Amino acid sequence: MRMKILILLLCASGAQAGTQREQAFAQRLRQVVEHNAGLEPSKAGYQTIAAKLYLGRDPEWCSRRLETLLQDPSGDMFWMFPVTAVAYLGRDKLTPSARGALRKAWKTYMPYRGDTENHWLLYYTSLYLMAQLYPNEPGESWYTGKSSEENLREAEGFLLHWMDLTTTKGQGEYDSTHYIGVYLLPLSYLAEWAGDPAMRLRARMMLDWVIADYAVENLGGLYVGAHARTDDRQVLEKWAGVSSDFGWLLFGLGYPLEGYSYYALFYSVASGYMPPEVIHRIATDRSRNYVHHELKRTRHRWRYSETRNAPVYKTTYMRRDYAVGSDQGGLLQPIQQHSWDVTWAVPDPRGVHNTLFSMHPYSAPFELQMYFTALPDFVTESVVRSKRSYDSPDKFLGGSRYEQIFQDLDTVIALYDIPPGTRYPHINGFFSKDLSKLVEHPSGWIFVQGGQASIAYYPLAPYEWRPIQGGGKRLYSPHLKNGTVVQVAAASEFADFAAFQRAILALPLQTAREPVPSVEFRSLRGHKLKFRYGQTPEVDGQPVRYQDWKLFEGPYLNAAPGSRKLVLTHGSLRRVLDFNEIPSFPPENTPEGR
Amino acid sequence: MAGDLAGLALWVLAAVNPPHQFYACAAASKGYVVGNKLPPSGLFVRAGEWRQLGYNHPFIAAVDYDRRDPRVLYLAAGNGCVRSPDGGRTWRITTSWDMTEPKDVSVDPSQSNHIYLALPDGIGVSRDQGRTWSRQDSGIERKYTQAIRVDRTTAGRVLAGAERGIFLTGNGGHDWRLVGADGAMVTHLEQSPHEPGWWIAATQQQGAWESRDGGLGWKRVLGGGSTLHNTAFDPTRRDRLAVCGWEVGVMVSEDGGRSWTARNSGLPSRHVWRVAFDPDRAGRIYAGVHEEALYVSDDAGRHWRSAGLEGAVIYNLAFIPAREP
Repeated sequence: MRMKILILLLCASGAQAGTQREQAFAQRLRQVVEHNAGLEPSKAGYQTIAAKLYLGRDPEWCSRRLETLLQDPSGDMFWMFPVTAVAYLGRDKLTPSARGALRKAWKTYMPYRGDTENHWLLYYTSLYLMAQLYPNEPGESWYTGKSSEENLREAEGFLLHWMDLTTTKGQGEYDSTHYIGVYLLPLSYLAEWAGDPAMRLRARMMLDWVIADYAVENLGGLYVGAHARTDDRQVLEKWAGVSSDFGWLLFGLGYPLEGYSYYALFYSVASGYMPPEVIHRIATDRSRNYVHHELKRTRHRWRYSETRNAPVYKTTYMRRDYAVGSDQGGLLQPIQQHSWDVTWAVPDPRGVHNTLFSMHPYSAPFELQMYFTALPDFVTESVVRSKRSYDSPDKFLGGSRYEQIFQDLDTVIALYDIPPGTRYPHINGFFSKDLSKLVEHPSGWIFVQGGQASIAYYPLAPYEWRPIQGGGKRLYSPHLKNGTVVQVAAASEFADFAAFQRAILALPLQTAREPVPSVEFRSLRGHKLKFRYGQTPEVDGQPVRYQDWKLFEGPYLNAAPGSRKLVLTHGSLRRVLDFNEIPSFPPENTPEGR
Repeated sequence: MAGDLAGLALWVLAAVNPPHQFYACAAASKGYVVGNKLPPSGLFVRAGEWRQLGYNHPFIAAVDYDRRDPRVLYLAAGNGCVRSPDGGRTWRITTSWDMTEPKDVSVDPSQSNHIYLALPDGIGVSRDQGRTWSRQDSGIERKYTQAIRVDRTTAGRVLAGAERGIFLTGNGGHDWRLVGADGAMVTHLEQSPHEPGWWIAATQQQGAWESRDGGLGWKRVLGGGSTLHNTAFDPTRRDRLAVCGWEVGVMVSEDGGRSWTARNSGLPSRHVWRVAFDPDRAGRIYAGVHEEALYVSDDAGRHWRSAGLEGAVIYNLAFIPAREP
């Protein structure tokens, strides 16, 4: 009897917590929408129209403003998605004239469908939903020249293909600090507006998949570890990106961006999906340390590769005070790749550079031709026009074909073997302005502290310090055979910073740069690590078995490659996302749009 | 005297109403990245002035046409293979989601229902004017394909320029074999209008190559180092050829490729995307200079002047018969 009462009380408190979470989520969502609805009308774009329509405000103004904006469409798939949201939100609110202008634009304007997965997902989600909204119309009424039915089927084909690829081989533009929004947004649309209940269900499951993927690798809302794509600012100021907006919106973690991102708004006015309790707990519980592995895939490789989508092996070690994350190095994604770092927790990350890493500033048409379909001579300049740091020797963003990385718990070894003649033949190490301590020890170790993380950094080759605009300093090492050994620990593990240094100095370390860089190191966690450039790393004499890497493997997320099935667990909570078990829905339950 | 007058009359007629329409695939690339506002870009036709034909689109790499009816146009565009049945009045994207960013398109002159598409990941073939497509690239290991051209003498005989050389099929793409420029990334292929067994290929850093036996055997005729973007035969003069490229500008051969001369006097830079001879005006040649303009020369490249399309990257130039055969 007492047990029953206890269970009932626990259920009641759980339900109350659930309700509180729902209320808090609804409040944050409302904040995002209200902010966008209140933007200066003369400057208002599609997001203000969408926000007002969602709130049921000023439909006449929305109609007038929409007609003005539609006089000159531009932006390709980035035009399609806001207009699709407006079309759905305004179905019963816009004037016939505004709806007519909106429909006409899908005949007269041909958006470019782009050259990468986030583009295609936006493009085909929008096309799918618009074809659904205007069924039974002939090809003459669409810019594609295809009928509504043909557009719908083509879009559905891509969407199902992308979901299948992602749930069997991993995401392509994986764990992107900006593009997470670009993936969550179309899935939110489909989860809300797809008429086909099977598509709605798939989209909701994919939302859980992508959100869980972020949840397990966030530290107080900051997306940590290796990223397919981030940007020049967020690679240093880990908070400063769209992922933080979603950490705040979905879980109440950290701080939103000033003005909220475009993506948070459109996510909110579509499904406004609140992730389930199990994902919430995975995102917010940092009471235990854990290792998390992921298998991802590269963006499509068009040239210089036998494999269209090469595997990406990710490792993330998460603690309350810091996280260490990495991939295996190499060219996994053009331009914006970030392969490894240490991120330490801070109470307020805004404006803080709470990270440390090293990298080779690689820049070459080889990389760009591998991942883009352009000819070589103009491709670098065309990239630099929008990604300004790409061809800079001082950059901190991007992968290198001459970098190889190995991580075991909170130890990282990054090795570099740069051929003579390579553009920018040096290593950049990022040392933040926000480090509270920095000691260059005669042994060669550099000891630093960031937040409550004590970090030991061993450069394999001589270096000099160079200032960084915006603060901090760059470890500049102009040696072709090079490397970095990093060992992290929580400050609380040692009596003081000196004790941490003594512990590191007591660890056996052997390094060599010739004939290729190599490291043998007994880590602070007692593992004997051996890594030689070009060879498989070893832990305690055993080679790392990359062939056994799982899509997800760790205490919270588990999925086998090819399985289409992700199991989420936290404590007694469990959720299974099984794309093999999508039920068939009878035709009468497939209305043309919801 | 009568003969001269007749010739003059024909010349005037051709000038006023030339046998070919002149098309350019061009993009105003300055300031454009995907998602930005795109200045007028896409397919242009010269009718006195340049006139845009069809949708604004940032990446139209090539245009070809149905030999039975030159109003039927096929574009290799960023959104796929786009077809117009009526000279550009209406359009349809014929490919689906699984074929992206084609680089070249070629209609089989002997069986105009058959269309070949050079794709970044292989070759697409349609046997029904683009209604349906399939992939046909067995035998090509590295799939990236930049150029494709059907041999006008033989139905289903096609040459493709891929990441590692020139490939040939004799059966409409069912299987392919390497025939030349082994290991070179091929950027363009062209068949002589005078001698069908004579082909020229341009490559990325491996120079220009020619075949005199219908594409079976190839030899280098111009050294490498830079990227050559395309080659052109002069339809009005058998032994005159041109190539263009990055840092190369325009080079012309008057002796069938045995010797080459740089002809860049008057061009604003040596970054040239495309070169083409005018089939209706002997000695006239066009060159698309990177983000500058289209340039024209009436003396086979010795002197140049601007011919419009200012600021554009010109991916392709094509002369298509103005009337049905």
